[in-house]
Amino acid sequence: MLTQLMLELFKICRSRSVHLSFITLIGFVGLMLWGFYSYAERKTGGQATEQFKYTYESKNYFNGLTFALYSVMFSFSLLIPIFVAMVAGAQIAGEARTGTLRMICVRPLSRVSIFLSKFLMVAFYTYLLMAFFIGLNLLAGLLFVGWGNLELYPGPLNLVDEPGKIMRDEALWRFVYASLSGTWALLVIAAIAMLFSVLFETPQMATVATIALYLMFYIIGRIEFFEHLRPYFFTTDMDFWRDVFKPSIPWQSFYHYGSICGAYIFGTLLLAITIFSRKDITS
Amino acid sequence: MWAKALLAILFALMICSAFYFQPARKRSLLATKPSDGPRLRLMTWNVGYADLEDDTRAQTRDLRAVAEIIMTHDPDAIAIQELSGDEQLKILLGYLGGRYRGAVARPGNADRVEAVLVKDRAARFEDIRADGKFALGATFHLRPELPEIVLVSAHADAFSAARRRAYTGELVEWTEARPEGTIVFVAGDFNFEVAVKDESHLYTDDLKHDSEAYSYLLKYFRDLGRDAGDTAINDRRIDYIFGPPERVLLRRAEVLRGAAVGRMDHWPLLIEVAL
Repeated sequence: MLTQLMLELFKICRSRSVHLSFITLIGFVGLMLWGFYSYAERKTGGQATEQFKYTYESKNYFNGLTFALYSVMFSFSLLIPIFVAMVAGAQIAGEARTGTLRMICVRPLSRVSIFLSKFLMVAFYTYLLMAFFIGLNLLAGLLFVGWGNLELYPGPLNLVDEPGKIMRDEALWRFVYASLSGTWALLVIAAIAMLFSVLFETPQMATVATIALYLMFYIIGRIEFFEHLRPYFFTTDMDFWRDVFKPSIPWQSFYHYGSICGAYIFGTLLLAITIFSRKDITS
Repeated sequence: MWAKALLAILFALMICSAFYFQPARKRSLLATKPSDGPRLRLMTWNVGYADLEDDTRAQTRDLRAVAEIIMTHDPDAIAIQELSGDEQLKILLGYLGGRYRGAVARPGNADRVEAVLVKDRAARFEDIRADGKFALGATFHLRPELPEIVLVSAHADAFSAARRRAYTGELVEWTEARPEGTIVFVAGDFNFEVAVKDESHLYTDDLKHDSEAYSYLLKYFRDLGRDAGDTAINDRRIDYIFGPPERVLLRRAEVLRGAAVGRMDHWPLLIEVAL
């Protein structure tokens, strides 16, 4: 099993889609930094205070932690899931397409071990991606925007219902928590992509099917007309990861939705393994 | 086989854990310590109609039912929005059988007006200019020996978040100029879209304007109806009663669902505080 894990790690490290994901995230941080920097300059330059009596957008508000929070929040829903789906979707279907799956399966190693080692490496990659992205944002925020406390207001990001503040050191810990809770939430997508990877013969099909399913639920869940459907979508439960950025973390709700995500992950993996174990591999 | 069994166990554990950690009900107002102080009961109600109607202002035919709701809950003062004018106020006061005094704000650039009804016969009313329109403030006493109370009836723009922000700014400025010792409440339909609905969304200018306006109010006031839930159709909480953060103790906050008459799209918000 350990050898298998090392082999999968080696494959992931050499995968171009993995390299692409890290490069894209670096580009995203660059764009965010540019936009944030110019916005902050404009908003603290006196324009907002001329028109309105009050603004919380001061020099204290715009700091590296605020930048990192916005950047992570914006990318989490629409950017990072694509990379996770891409890498996870290629795990089984990619081997099938290149003709190596049959060869791997004739080795004296159970299909379950093969599947689980691949999933563990996807989980490792997902954590690495989240940790790298959060770290990069914090570093960029520190170098180009500056440190401060994390101030939160009702409305933007929908995190609090009254103004709140997280002190700098505590906020840094919250980012560490976010790398873990974010990974757990993204593993739902990874598990679904692995299932599709077993079901479909090409990685493209597996990836597109996963992203389509994710976006369909994500979009429908955001339309007020269909609000009553929202509780049944895994995309709603995945949002639990953001709770770590609330001034007072609602642990009960955090564990509840985290457990639902866990049920999705393990349920989907069980289904995928069952199908994979019985699958007739002809390629 | 062991791996499948392990996954099945983990799956079952997660489901059990999800049930076990079912988020608890939010803190109950019933659990707070009773206060012996005198109770003040306030209500805010936008009695206008939904956008689908030709005339979205209050309808005279509904006023009898509005008066019945008011008399049933017996608030000390009521902030009303979207009356068509002074005529409707007189009719409403008539249905209330002389139990309340009231006034409407000047129309300004709008076709509808805010009103305040107060039980205190010595209440004073004052127009408050904000962003080209008028809110109305009523100054009254619950009992002669108690501090003066001000209730403002406000209605912020439904379509422009920037105007809501400007309106709120001027309103807060007016309340800040009240004499020290006065207990100020601001009630009305602010149309803020700042509700947390456990969802993420991207940043918009409108959202930020509402956020800044709401945060500005919270610098000086407490959102007394926060735990009472939605006040308008489509699950929106857009009617508020803001009160002093420390000088009053919230005893009750309730949205009177089912009180809407005809095609009204808001429900009244009722709060009770101990002074």
